[in-house]
Amino acid sequence: MRLAGSTRAVSMPLVVVTMIGFALLGGTVRAAVYDSAALSTAGTVFSGIFVQALPFLALGVLLSALIAVFITPDRLSRWLPRRTSTAVLAAAVSGAALPGCECGSVPVARRLYGEDALGAAALTFMLAAPAINPVVVVSTVVAFPAQPQMVFARVGASLLTAIVMGLAWARWGRTEWITRRLPRPRPGQESRWGTFIEAARHDFIQAASYLVIGAAAAAALNVIVPDWMIEKLAGQLLLGVLVMALLAVVLSLCSEADAFVAASLTMVPLVPRLVFLVVGPAIDIKLFAMQSGLFGRAFAIRFAPATFVVATVSATVVGLLVLGGG
Amino acid sequence: MSREAENVLLLLVGIATAMITIGGAYTRYVKPSLLPWLALTAAVLIALALASIAADIRHGSAAEHDHDGHSHGGSVAWMLIVPVVVLIFVTPPALRPQSVPPKVTAVSTEVLRQPFPPLPAGRAPEVSIPDVMVRAAQDSAGTLDNRLITVIGFTLPTDGGGVDLARVMLICCAADAQLARVHLAGPDADELAGYPEQTWLRVEGIVIAAEADGDSTSIPTLEVQTATRIEAPENVYA
Repeated sequence: MRLAGSTRAVSMPLVVVTMIGFALLGGTVRAAVYDSAALSTAGTVFSGIFVQALPFLALGVLLSALIAVFITPDRLSRWLPRRTSTAVLAAAVSGAALPGCECGSVPVARRLYGEDALGAAALTFMLAAPAINPVVVVSTVVAFPAQPQMVFARVGASLLTAIVMGLAWARWGRTEWITRRLPRPRPGQESRWGTFIEAARHDFIQAASYLVIGAAAAAALNVIVPDWMIEKLAGQLLLGVLVMALLAVVLSLCSEADAFVAASLTMVPLVPRLVFLVVGPAIDIKLFAMQSGLFGRAFAIRFAPATFVVATVSATVVGLLVLGGG
Repeated sequence: MSREAENVLLLLVGIATAMITIGGAYTRYVKPSLLPWLALTAAVLIALALASIAADIRHGSAAEHDHDGHSHGGSVAWMLIVPVVVLIFVTPPALRPQSVPPKVTAVSTEVLRQPFPPLPAGRAPEVSIPDVMVRAAQDSAGTLDNRLITVIGFTLPTDGGGVDLARVMLICCAADAQLARVHLAGPDADELAGYPEQTWLRVEGIVIAAEADGDSTSIPTLEVQTATRIEAPENVYA
């Protein structure tokens, strides 16, 4: 406790020192970046992805904070039907009401599960919400102005993934895999304003931090990956699908921003890009970490790979049906 | 990372957003139409940071709040330093044509041709290079035929010794940049080829009606009438 406290204690001076350092060395760093074509391109692409995603992130965070204030988890679970299959369907569709990215839906799903709601419905909701909510749909429309069918394919394939995983959990899932207990509810009575600020602050810092990682990785790939490699992807559907699915897992992009990254990979055909958009919000490295943190490792090592396979297959099938072979 | 440090980083991200928005540097990264949303975002982030700081001060010791902090992922918030440093202290330059993938924006002529809205009135209305490309390929109303237009872009020599007028084009943000270009032709074009690469020009000319040569991604050609050297525009992208 004391140790944790002391590392926390130095973080503030560290931020200040870093800022002063860059204020002094800023000119040198700037010159180095401007002199190198690769560095300035990477810097500009990073800034492009980050700045473009920022307004969407802010909007999503404000809405999710409003929901944290006005829609309590037990109220949500009371709305769910009793029958498992109906509940799974209802949960998948009601995912559209949680306009946040995947970072927000994992804790919500965990809380629903803990409240003794149907577990399958909670997990379906967790997979559906980040992929089909209005903010994600709007940003996909904006990112693919020339391919409106991409939006329908994305929503369809994501719903399919969520429903299949929910039903699979109802059939084969075991509650004893979920080893992590929920933290006790906060004892103090916070005001609505306090809850709102706390939720918005937490969600923004979480999501924006992971967005930085994703934007940096995408910028590096933009510069490093030689063109011939992606040209190869253009011809081979199966290889393209596999690579883009893995890329979605590795990049761990926020679902509110991933459409812009997918749109930028113009040399990759649409079906693998759809796979990227369906797999990313369902499972990636940061979600795996969050799932083992909130549900437990035994749960995550079973649920995450299954989600990966189901999402990849349903995106490929829906993509071939809606978008065609190209 | 402590709550105070997180709040300060949140504030700095808001300030960085405000700085590139007010200073105009944001047009290097995204489309200018994002301006109101960026301004709003900066305001929201700064307000959120100040409210968090105020709430923590009111609650006294901020450390008490860390009880519910175990699931927050801890040190990942350090990542927020990256955009703060990049946007405030480095502010990367606009994309140069060399760093844009060499492939040219492909405008397919195989789509169904449709009538485009008429060009603005006037002697030589300004038309963006991507617009010229799309109209040349897909317009059934012939809005470019025998019409003097003004096009702004930078020179880019072609392999064949000719010269193109080009503009970097964003669909969404700097991550999806593409190069849009038109060929320049006519007696004046030879003179333009003598200019150094990436000289910004305002060119008045007429698009030469392209023959249907079966090439689905043809680049239109502009017959140059006058060409003037200009300063690079504030928004370098098309």
